Amino acid sequence: MSGQKPKVAFFDFTGCEGCQLNKLNFENELLDLLELVDIVEFREAMDGKADYYDIAFIEGGISTPQCIERIHDIRRRCGVMVALGQCAVSGGINAMKNLHPSEWVQEAVYGEDKYLFPSIPAQPVSAIVNVDYEVRGCPMSAPEYLHVFKSLILGRKPEIKDYAVCVECKLKENECVLDKGMFCLGPITRAGCEAICPSNGQYCTGCRGPVSNINRDGAVDMLKKHGYSTEEALKRMKMFNTNEIDKEIKWGR
Amino acid sequence: MNQKLNNINEMKCQFLDENATYDFLKFLKGRSKVFAPHRKGEASYIYDEVSDVKDVVLQYPRTIQPLKKYFLPPRETLLSFNIDENNFTESEINVEPRIFFGIHAYEMEGVMRLDYTFEQGQPESNYLTRREQSTFIGISYEPDEYHFSKSLGIDIDSVDGFSLYFKKTDNGYYVYEIDAAGQQLMKEFGKGKRVDIPVTKEEPEFTNKIKYHYNRLPQIFEHVYDSKVWEEVAERCVGCGTCNLLCPTCYCFDVRDEVEINATEGKRERFWDGCMLNPFAEVAGNENFREKLSSRTRHRLYRKFKYITNKSGELHCVGCGRCSKYCPADISITKIINNLIDDYADRQQKQVI
Repeated sequence: MSGQKPKVAFFDFTGCEGCQLNKLNFENELLDLLELVDIVEFREAMDGKADYYDIAFIEGGISTPQCIERIHDIRRRCGVMVALGQCAVSGGINAMKNLHPSEWVQEAVYGEDKYLFPSIPAQPVSAIVNVDYEVRGCPMSAPEYLHVFKSLILGRKPEIKDYAVCVECKLKENECVLDKGMFCLGPITRAGCEAICPSNGQYCTGCRGPVSNINRDGAVDMLKKHGYSTEEALKRMKMFNTNEIDKEIKWGR
Repeated sequence: MNQKLNNINEMKCQFLDENATYDFLKFLKGRSKVFAPHRKGEASYIYDEVSDVKDVVLQYPRTIQPLKKYFLPPRETLLSFNIDENNFTESEINVEPRIFFGIHAYEMEGVMRLDYTFEQGQPESNYLTRREQSTFIGISYEPDEYHFSKSLGIDIDSVDGFSLYFKKTDNGYYVYEIDAAGQQLMKEFGKGKRVDIPVTKEEPEFTNKIKYHYNRLPQIFEHVYDSKVWEEVAERCVGCGTCNLLCPTCYCFDVRDEVEINATEGKRERFWDGCMLNPFAEVAGNENFREKLSSRTRHRLYRKFKYITNKSGELHCVGCGRCSKYCPADISITKIINNLIDDYADRQQKQVI
């Protein structure tokens, strides 16, 4: 990526586009970022198209046949592909629909016009094409995104954290949310958000997905000790991570 | 091993009532920065710099982070660099006199274990520099269901490392002068009432105990490497690393370079790490040589009771109970050790038959 500025593009798939908007909120860094790259495609912020991208950022998950076609097309035309936000990384909140029969979901949303809108189970981008890096979170975590961005510009491999939110809470010496009698998924959720919710009086909802070595049964036991039933525990664990948690159930440990 | 010689029962002391104790804190504050336990949130405590002495909590079970945070900060910048100019500047560490007030015996022992660790081999200059000019003033405490330092040879009234020791008594404290610095402080303060024969209560019982004498623990650890106990723990452990991060004798850290948005300047940061976490034993090619939680827990305990002990002759667990108190899955280190002892005893009996 030396010489010319790298060409960067942003694409949105099934999601709320919140992660894309999130980027426009980097008011302090936005102009500096634009110094480093050429943004060639970004529907939320500009018109215009290009044939090749050095870095393609993908927001949103895969949930229609058209999504599959489009993501293949982008993959063919890009160097590095980065999945942005939990929908792109794991299917995110959309994947809750995977727990119900497809027909039923389509009817609930589109009524009798359901046949006009073909739909498939919500999946991560990586289920269809090769994804190089992931920025997790709902919305994606801004510091982690900046880290990935800067690393790619410098030609380094970004370091993606694969340990629990608990670590970031402990580094900040926060009072434990579970100790306060609140619910929390911090012990099994990936760090990278600087424990933003527990640091501000909230609990961790698990929006960044589980750590790669999740001990699902242990996590359920842990939540039971803090007063939550197995169903409640699983329901909350699945909210952002149906695909990941369900995979654990189906495939076992 | 671990047995300390100082015994305050044979020492003279002075009496300070609760108000005089706070006056003493004001006096200390007039001399240098003072750090002491404060409330945090609903039911937690942390060490913090004293601004108003009234906020200092004299009796508390334990703080969230151990005292090591002042000598090995959770995050610190080691150096800043410039890629274009190809140079770097190391961070300067400024030391000033600091007084740490209201420290429990196990905590002091924890600091002394870290001193040992960082003095070995290539001395760790950042830690050792920060450690200079520190004065420690101890205080007694009521053990709760997690403390077990007595089982490791650390009494409530172990005074090694302290300059002064405050022992709780009815409506005040008996103050023992442990070293010359402490003696000087009390002399300058001048409000202590001499007590020739202090009437002290019996040390409160620890409810949390290890079954065997601490001298036997390294030997037990010779025989439990393949115990089934590790797997049993791993079934409940979620690998969050809280036990590592809050341990007063854990010292592992990771280092990461982060560039500024201009992609030219940057910083090298170091932050606490732990052997329970995924990236800890990860090497090139995505291999992880300690992949299972069972082997990570085993490694964590062996670091406390065998590996470093073989070199230093001291147990590197001080019985503060943080790993058990703050474990979200309610895993207790004393239960693990007692289960290991049972497992070892069982297997020995079978061998005899």
